[in-house]
Amino acid sequence: MKRIEALQALADLTGHPVVVTCAATSRELASVKDSDNHLYLLDAMGLVGSVATGLALSLDTSAPKVVGIEGDGSLLMNPNVLPTGGYLAPDNLLLVLLDNGVYGSTGDLPTYSSRIDLGRLAAAVGWTTRSTATVDGLKTAFGELLTVRGPAFLHARIEAGNAQGIEKLLIDPVTITDRFTRWLREVHASAVAA
Amino acid sequence: MTYAEAVADGIWAAGTARVGYIPSVSVAPVVNSLVATDGGADGVSPRVTPLSREEEAIGVMGAVAFTGELGAVVMQDNGFGNALTALTTFTLSYHLPLLVFANTRGSLGEYNSMIHSISQPVPALLRTAGLPVVELDRRSSAEDWRDTVKEAGVHAVMTYRPVVVLGSFWNTDGKAA
Repeated sequence: MKRIEALQALADLTGHPVVVTCAATSRELASVKDSDNHLYLLDAMGLVGSVATGLALSLDTSAPKVVGIEGDGSLLMNPNVLPTGGYLAPDNLLLVLLDNGVYGSTGDLPTYSSRIDLGRLAAAVGWTTRSTATVDGLKTAFGELLTVRGPAFLHARIEAGNAQGIEKLLIDPVTITDRFTRWLREVHASAVAA
Repeated sequence: MTYAEAVADGIWAAGTARVGYIPSVSVAPVVNSLVATDGGADGVSPRVTPLSREEEAIGVMGAVAFTGELGAVVMQDNGFGNALTALTTFTLSYHLPLLVFANTRGSLGEYNSMIHSISQPVPALLRTAGLPVVELDRRSSAEDWRDTVKEAGVHAVMTYRPVVVLGSFWNTDGKAA
């Protein structure tokens, strides 16, 4: 499964608050579907799990699960999001790891994930996990994890390599804040502060 | 009211919805007061939780702002080296209010000769990065600390930006280092 195929599937599945990691992943998601429920972290590598956890803790449980889309290199830059998520254990958090084994936006240099099973790492600190390497498996596992209470972790193995011809995501981050918070207020008014 | 209680009161008085902390012996009384007033014990309450690293705290508590509420971080100033990228590329760039209270090290009353290297330049580092910094020390009363922390939180909300309050506990009723 290519990253952009996984992102297409996730875009079709998510009317959720979606926090997505920087660089190629944000660009590719925006290219298949740019939506107000997408909170692109244009920099701040490694922060998806933290931001998604903060959102999950802050939103009312009437809102859909917060979905974080993270890469293996980014997760390994801030792996303590796993024990923190396991400890704080919000009911409504689903972290999707798109694991291609390399830093895809920085020259395809290897991450640790060829030797370290990040799904097992998540499971060891309290996350309910599923693993897949196919689009159909991704859809099935995503549906299963939506029914889980507590932090859920979908470990999706993808191919290395970025989609070609994808434009850079040149957008002022404050614009992202504005449209994402407006979307939260308008679509999930009961889940956010007045 | 102790200085630690004053900080905790100020944080709540700012309308803070949720607090994350990274432990320090100087902020432990602040955390204990936050937890006690929130109905918790042993470092945890419904709205106060431990976090494992400063950049993570900026991410978790910065995200509170997306729901229209204010998050706060209580930490020690030597953690700003860890937090600076998250503060600038996330909270500052995305215009997210966040109240950060940090005790200071590396000045009067400091026993650790190494910690000066990070703590001394922290105010200048933060200001250079465009972060508002308010500094408190023994020359202000506990009541003034409370009011200042509260107003810093209000200022964060009004300006849609993180605001940092640095508190030196030396020669107050709190622990200096």
